[in-house]
Amino acid sequence: MGSGSETLKEKNRRKIFFLATALLVPLVSLLSPSWLTISGVGPCWAVLWLLPWAIEEGPMSGFIAALCLSLILDGLVLNGPSYFPALTPLGWWFGRLGLKAPPIERSFNLGLLAVIGTAFSGSILWLQQLLFEQNTFNLLFNSWALHTFLAELIITGLLAPFLCSVMILLKRGSVFSIDRRF
Amino acid sequence: MAGGLRFAGSSWRSWRGKWPLLFLLVALSFVRWTKGAGFVDLYSLLIRPFWPGSAQREWIQTGIQVEQQARLILLEQDNQRLRDMLSLNGGSNSGLISAAVISRKSSGWWQQLDLGQGLLAGVEEGDAVIGPGGLLGVIDSVTPTTARVRLLTAPGSRIGVWIARTKTHGILLGTGTNRPQLRFLDKAPDLQPGDLVSTSPASTLMPPNLPIGVIQTLDSKALPLPTGRVQLLASPEAIDWVQVQKL
Repeated sequence: MGSGSETLKEKNRRKIFFLATALLVPLVSLLSPSWLTISGVGPCWAVLWLLPWAIEEGPMSGFIAALCLSLILDGLVLNGPSYFPALTPLGWWFGRLGLKAPPIERSFNLGLLAVIGTAFSGSILWLQQLLFEQNTFNLLFNSWALHTFLAELIITGLLAPFLCSVMILLKRGSVFSIDRRF
Repeated sequence: MAGGLRFAGSSWRSWRGKWPLLFLLVALSFVRWTKGAGFVDLYSLLIRPFWPGSAQREWIQTGIQVEQQARLILLEQDNQRLRDMLSLNGGSNSGLISAAVISRKSSGWWQQLDLGQGLLAGVEEGDAVIGPGGLLGVIDSVTPTTARVRLLTAPGSRIGVWIARTKTHGILLGTGTNRPQLRFLDKAPDLQPGDLVSTSPASTLMPPNLPIGVIQTLDSKALPLPTGRVQLLASPEAIDWVQVQKL
């Protein structure tokens, strides 16, 4: 019993710690380090955080986390397109995938899911740009949008296998026993 | 006859020893004729180690800059006085607020800057943001200590512009690329690449006569009206401090 409550406490402690790392998402979005960009376009930090969280916590937690993230991130960008329709379906979908056995933990799978998620989020943002900027509808089908879409996809796909793996291990409490696992 | 020969012979002998003098005269005549060629060059070569150094050149350049700044201030005062007489928006530097760039997104879905000055410093929505080179964008939203700038390149950015050479009005539209689109309001604006684009001198929304960029390309066959692309003068990727100019 005592051991069980200790484990529960430890789990909750890790969960709170993981949740606290969500604060890094708006921070790095604002900071936008130039050495982590491709031609000035940075990764989709929201997807990089949301993917391990939703996989570990399930669809409802993923949806709520995506909602909270999109509210924060929408406050950090210009009026117009919103993260809300891009992130909330992703949070739900990642959570559904996480429920299925076997658990998703391979770097390639995480990278692929992050790329798919970023492609979805990028498409929704692009679509919103087209809807909001009706006067420049034709102009938005230009190299800029495609460049942003692809650059974000590549840099997110490159970072996801490392970052998402580390975060999942962190969540499971096995981040310091990687060498033993392999 | 014999006397004549003697005279000629003695004359030749008398000049034979003086050829260096003749050579010198010819050389000096050459110097005179060429306005000092060779002579001045030699002088220049000899005194090269004693030429005024870079410090003196900088001192002179600083003097020129001070003079030009003084002339600029006088001209601005004169301009301001004339604008007051015509009841136009002021273009003085009195409303400038310096602000550090604390976050930068010059590429991507949103193209914006976040500044480290806000309502408390007097920054308001709609104020113009200027960097080295010219106009960068317009304040989109403000918090007590920060302000968000919509860059001229951002999709959705629209400002009225003025091409002084042809006295033509246009609209600068941000399209996400580094070169915003210029839409003209006249059918045949008679413009050419290289024309300077600035804010209108009679604008009530923006400070007047702020340089924005130069026309890079023109599409005079575009419908319904001609369009162009503008190369901006100020580069948001490389600017750490900007100035917010109030109307």
